[in-house]
Amino acid sequence: MQFPNIENMKKILSFILSLVLLPFLGFAQYDGEFVKPKNGRFLLQNATIVTVTNGTIQNGSILLANGKIQALGQQVDAGDAEVIDCTGLFIYPGLIDGGSRLGLVEVGSLAETQDYAEIGQVTPNMEALVAVNPNSVAIPVTRVSGVTTTLTMPSGGLFPGTAALINLNGYTPDQMYAGFKGVVMNFPSSARRSTWDRRSDDDIKKEFEKAQETLNEIWEKATTYHRLKTAGAALEYYPEMEHLSKVVAGELPLLVEVNAATDILKAIEWIASKEVKAILTGVAEGWRVAEQIAAAKLPVVTGPMLSIPTRQSDRYDAAYTNPGKMAKAGVKVAIRANDAENTRNLPFNAGFAAAYGMGKEEALKAVTIYPAEIFGVADRLGSLEVGKDATLLVSTGDPFETRTQIRHVFIDGYRVPMSNRHIKLYQEFLERSPGLEKN
Amino acid sequence: MIFQSQTIKNLGLMLLGIFLSVSGLHSQSDPTAQKRVSGTYVIQNVNLVASPGSNATQTSILIKDGLIQEVGRNLRVPAEAQIIAGDSLYAYHAFIDVFTTAGVSRPADLERPSDFNPSKPSDEIAGITPWRQVLDYYDAKNNSVTEWRKLGFTIAQVAPEGGMIPGKTALVTYGGPNSSNVIGRQNALHAKLRNSGGGRSLYPGTTLGVMAKFRDVYKNAELSAKHDRTFASAAGINRPERNKTYEALYPVIDKQIPVLFEVTNDLDARRAMMLQKELGFSLGLIGLQESDNLIADIKRTNTMAVLSLKLPENGASKAKKDALTDEGGEKLKRVEEAYQKALGQAASFEKEGVPFAFTSAGIRPSDFNKNLDLMVKAGLSEKAALAALTTNAASMLGISRFAGTVEKGKLANIMLTTGPLFAENTQIKHVIADGYVFNYEVKTAKKESNGNNSNGSADLSGSWEYISETPAGSGSGVMEIKRDGSSYAGTITYDSPTGAGKDTADMRNISWNNNELKFTFSVSAGGMNLDVNVSGLVDGSNYSGNLSIADFGSFPLTATKKPNQLNQ
Amino acid sequence: MKKILQAFLISLLPMSWSVAQTPTGSVLIKNAHVLTVTNGDLEGTDVLVENGIIRRIGKNLSAPASVEVIEANGMYLMPGIIDAHSHVALDAVNEATAPITSEVKMADVVNPYDIGLYRALAGGVTISHAMHGSANAIGGQNITLKHRYGSGNPEDLFMKEAPRTIKFALGENPTRVHGRGNGIQPRTRMGVDAVIRNGFNEAIQYKKAWEAYNNALKVRGATPVPPKYDERLETLADILDGKIIIHCHSYRADEIYGLINTCREFGITNIVFSHVNEGFKVAPELAEYTMGASVFADWWAYKFEVYYSTAYNAAILTRNNVITSINSDSGELIRHLYHEAGKAQRYGELNDQETLALITINPAKQLGIADKVGSIEVGKQADLVLFNEHPLSIYAIPQMTFVDGVKYFDINADDNDMRLRVSASEVVEPIFLKEHEHRCMHGVDFFFTNFGRSLFNHSH
Repeated sequence: MQFPNIENMKKILSFILSLVLLPFLGFAQYDGEFVKPKNGRFLLQNATIVTVTNGTIQNGSILLANGKIQALGQQVDAGDAEVIDCTGLFIYPGLIDGGSRLGLVEVGSLAETQDYAEIGQVTPNMEALVAVNPNSVAIPVTRVSGVTTTLTMPSGGLFPGTAALINLNGYTPDQMYAGFKGVVMNFPSSARRSTWDRRSDDDIKKEFEKAQETLNEIWEKATTYHRLKTAGAALEYYPEMEHLSKVVAGELPLLVEVNAATDILKAIEWIASKEVKAILTGVAEGWRVAEQIAAAKLPVVTGPMLSIPTRQSDRYDAAYTNPGKMAKAGVKVAIRANDAENTRNLPFNAGFAAAYGMGKEEALKAVTIYPAEIFGVADRLGSLEVGKDATLLVSTGDPFETRTQIRHVFIDGYRVPMSNRHIKLYQEFLERSPGLEKN
Repeated sequence: MIFQSQTIKNLGLMLLGIFLSVSGLHSQSDPTAQKRVSGTYVIQNVNLVASPGSNATQTSILIKDGLIQEVGRNLRVPAEAQIIAGDSLYAYHAFIDVFTTAGVSRPADLERPSDFNPSKPSDEIAGITPWRQVLDYYDAKNNSVTEWRKLGFTIAQVAPEGGMIPGKTALVTYGGPNSSNVIGRQNALHAKLRNSGGGRSLYPGTTLGVMAKFRDVYKNAELSAKHDRTFASAAGINRPERNKTYEALYPVIDKQIPVLFEVTNDLDARRAMMLQKELGFSLGLIGLQESDNLIADIKRTNTMAVLSLKLPENGASKAKKDALTDEGGEKLKRVEEAYQKALGQAASFEKEGVPFAFTSAGIRPSDFNKNLDLMVKAGLSEKAALAALTTNAASMLGISRFAGTVEKGKLANIMLTTGPLFAENTQIKHVIADGYVFNYEVKTAKKESNGNNSNGSADLSGSWEYISETPAGSGSGVMEIKRDGSSYAGTITYDSPTGAGKDTADMRNISWNNNELKFTFSVSAGGMNLDVNVSGLVDGSNYSGNLSIADFGSFPLTATKKPNQLNQ
Repeated sequence: MKKILQAFLISLLPMSWSVAQTPTGSVLIKNAHVLTVTNGDLEGTDVLVENGIIRRIGKNLSAPASVEVIEANGMYLMPGIIDAHSHVALDAVNEATAPITSEVKMADVVNPYDIGLYRALAGGVTISHAMHGSANAIGGQNITLKHRYGSGNPEDLFMKEAPRTIKFALGENPTRVHGRGNGIQPRTRMGVDAVIRNGFNEAIQYKKAWEAYNNALKVRGATPVPPKYDERLETLADILDGKIIIHCHSYRADEIYGLINTCREFGITNIVFSHVNEGFKVAPELAEYTMGASVFADWWAYKFEVYYSTAYNAAILTRNNVITSINSDSGELIRHLYHEAGKAQRYGELNDQETLALITINPAKQLGIADKVGSIEVGKQADLVLFNEHPLSIYAIPQMTFVDGVKYFDINADDNDMRLRVSASEVVEPIFLKEHEHRCMHGVDFFFTNFGRSLFNHSH
């Protein structure tokens, strides 16, 4: 259990330093020249490969080329690939976060950097992908944890906009785009919002019913718009309905954010009545109605587990056990950290889910193959299989454990630098110079 | 209890006053013909319950000029006496309200100076006004006084409205229109653990600051008194700086009068008791709720306990009826238990032998009988209920000598009911307050009359003073509502976001239906315009509702219409 | 457990909680993997607790028949977790109306019914430091709480042996609330420093005035006039006299360094910096002149002054010999501080003992209670947590939590609904979502309004 601390620390430090400096030592003009993400052919050799979909391969190797997993198994020929020795290490598919605000905000409290909430209740045409900042400091901070992909989501009104799945490497939103979009809908809530929400029980009920009515009216409009458009009518410019009509047509799924148990049931009913393709997100009280969610065959993206129980009367671990209970009932559950700068906590959320009833295997799937399937990108992401994207992590052990170190991360074939501002500050200040006294 | 001396002094003055005014009145004619012909009454053959727990005995009562002259079966009926036929009626001492703000208007908020520093407000702006006398803000003719009298109340301690230390209370009767109705002044100091005075944007803003400030004011009053004494007795002392806040506390630090702390639950009560323990004043806890687990402490410290007549809404039964919740079983059971516990609080005090009284503060007159019945059904004995409203109250107010029981020599505060007090369908037929007789119509079938769905004849127009409660403190302001053709228009003031003074906004979208008043106003702050929605129910001159701000939540807001405008 | 507590309460009803001793218990925990924190790990070891105190640690211990014996074979026993920065169980957090409010006391507003206390116990936290908010340069006096959940009397939760502490705050929060919000000093970091200095200097004058008065009283026949009483300055004077430990909300290296200098000038050594996101930049100074730093494991970027943070903060500080703890400042994080501490292994590879110290003996040192709690040692108070796995594993689940030897959490025995107080009227319970936390954090401009300030009476 004990780590030989100083020695080990020095080792890892020199390792990081070598990563930063070695490739450029030959022609460095400046101290600390930047390491760029590197594309090419790599052979990750002699690792324990956790494929997620096809079991675990001991002493295996993976050949990455042209952005894809070219070969995988115990005998893989390196060819001209750069060999990375992974003895004693583990390889997992890149972790997929089912929902965040990553890239849409830089500093939480500063309005100037908040690009996730537009004005208006019905703004489905607001595209998160347009506003993603590929140079957000939080992106490298996130990806070195092995979280390679996230669904970045707008928030706010009834239809706040369109979320986009992005890979955490690239210099334009298009380079980052991972092939999935969905329209976010905040399903009307009948929940008391906090202890300071002092509306009467009756008022809450009335407001909920009114909000549902509004929703139905809007949906009716979208359906009409779609019907008329399909019939070839020349319609006036109406970008909101234009966008919603894609949902009506089934081109874009609806990401239905819903949390309270009664709301979830209402949402299930609503989705069925509108025959819309939908994914439930949030679902904080999913455990209360897990059977019904399973019966409706709706996939769920839930999280964070690291949050308080929704009700004061609930058991203290209600949020920890929620994904496990839904999974046991037969719901396909993906996990999200629902964060921005700390999306790196996704594996820890999955770890809590695993510990509290979901089990390690199902929790791993909930951050790899399940979100890939739910978002319709399982042909490219979510497991280690030949032909899939070269998006993976190499670690010293179970990536959910805090003591595990992530050694390498590949995204879409690029070996990303294992550095970011947090690590650079560590390098600069671990042994500050000058120290206490300036000599 | 403690404030005997002050009361006695005041009583003496008052008796003298009555004597003089009677002789003065004889020389006046009364062209309005409202003056009574005689102040002498005999209640004949009534079933008298002279004190809580005593048996009803048939007797007669002679009242003369506000005093019970005689109680007896065969008393001599003076020629000037007007006869009240007691026959099937029951007589009780009328109710005593240990603490109320009925008829009291809130002093206007002081304008904040342009260079206002919210961290150092003047005492008055900060809600520290111990020098204020409630009688300067009290209107004996106010509708709510009339309503409470109709329910059997004839003596009350009225308390001033305001911030953390609103001022001094007074003892009044709900008697005749031409009397001053004052029994005593400066009976107690009213204090709170929250500062609703100037809103949250000035010191002290929360219970944290209020408690610290109370200690500060109290300790400095002690030092100031010491300085005064030294100055009075020794030479070579610099002049004491006159400070009306400190001086107004002298009767408190000398333990001549108690501090009545308004509390909501056991935690508040403990806070007041903590201050009492540290500082040593004599304490009254006003409005106790959820305080069963404090009974032992109250008993041990012999603290004056005044229970709230307020009861929570029965959430569980409502939920079952309206299917409001997805929860059943255990959790609903706990809600039910909590409700039963609230009903049974008074009974628990009785069971532990802790004397208590009631305050009407915080409830509507229409809830009084209903809530009292619920408490009795939950185990409070009729004797203890009556004692809480008569003898215990009198003893806490230090007026047992002339109030609390119906016997010779006490003041004539009597209620005559159609049956035993807590029996079903018993109604009040007469209330004799301070010797004045008020007659009420007895309905054949008892029913609540306020179930109508229209707004009735009530008029919204006027000045409404509101208080809003938010997580860390309260805000306040005034809504001025005017009739505008068939609809209403108005303005609302609120604590300025800049922290200085009040801002004003128009009330928009005012709607008034089925006694529900709704409107919107905008707060501009830091370049943002926030819409605030207000909705709630109007009940006479009371308004109780919520204000909600976009996605941020919804918070309670209550308002009362300025009484002086009610009586125009 | 709740039922036992209730029964306990009822049995005490005739007496008063405020005069009764707080409850202590006896228990024998057998064959646990004992993580002492201060004396290494002991495998298969027994711990005997008598009347709330750890009496013996060893093999094959026995206890009187009346003492509960817990077979803990395969389980891990660690000291009760201590949170050096919390706002759990408080009815009010910020008296945000003056730049200095050293006179206010969190002890006045403790709410023992807060379900957050039980949730903290279920995460192994036995002691929390209930703090004033960060609106003021000098905030209120904090209170150290032992999580004796079940009593309705706040005083039963007070850890009476703990020294007095006070909240200070630097940077954006005090300058936003007072300078930009109310138009009074401080509006800048210069102003914050000046406000604190002014306070200390006034306190020195105040103390002199009272000393003069008290000396004059000793003269026979003298009739001195007392100065005005001012608890605000009295408290500041106590800080100068070393009677109170400062816990200072701070983020940036410059402001931390600035306050270290001010404290050195006034001879103050009892100071702990809290949050300290840029503490790593002044680690040598923190090590030399302060009682250390209490940090977040990984929070950053939620406001500008924490944009240049690093999750390696705890590791850098520890390596520079700064007494370092990890705190929650949150009703959510307080439930898994063992996991928050574990992040110091991801970010900087601290060893197990160093990591566990972040949430036990180190916060105990910062609260001045390290001689009583914070490790498993004979003679210390029996605040203990039993885990099914090593507490630094992500798969660890607390099984039982003891305060003073009394079991307040038992994963197998507790009911679902552990509320002590239930609303009689509101059946539709409030629902709390992570979403709202975000909204609150992002609604900082809203803080400029009175409504907003009331709503978010605390932000980090």
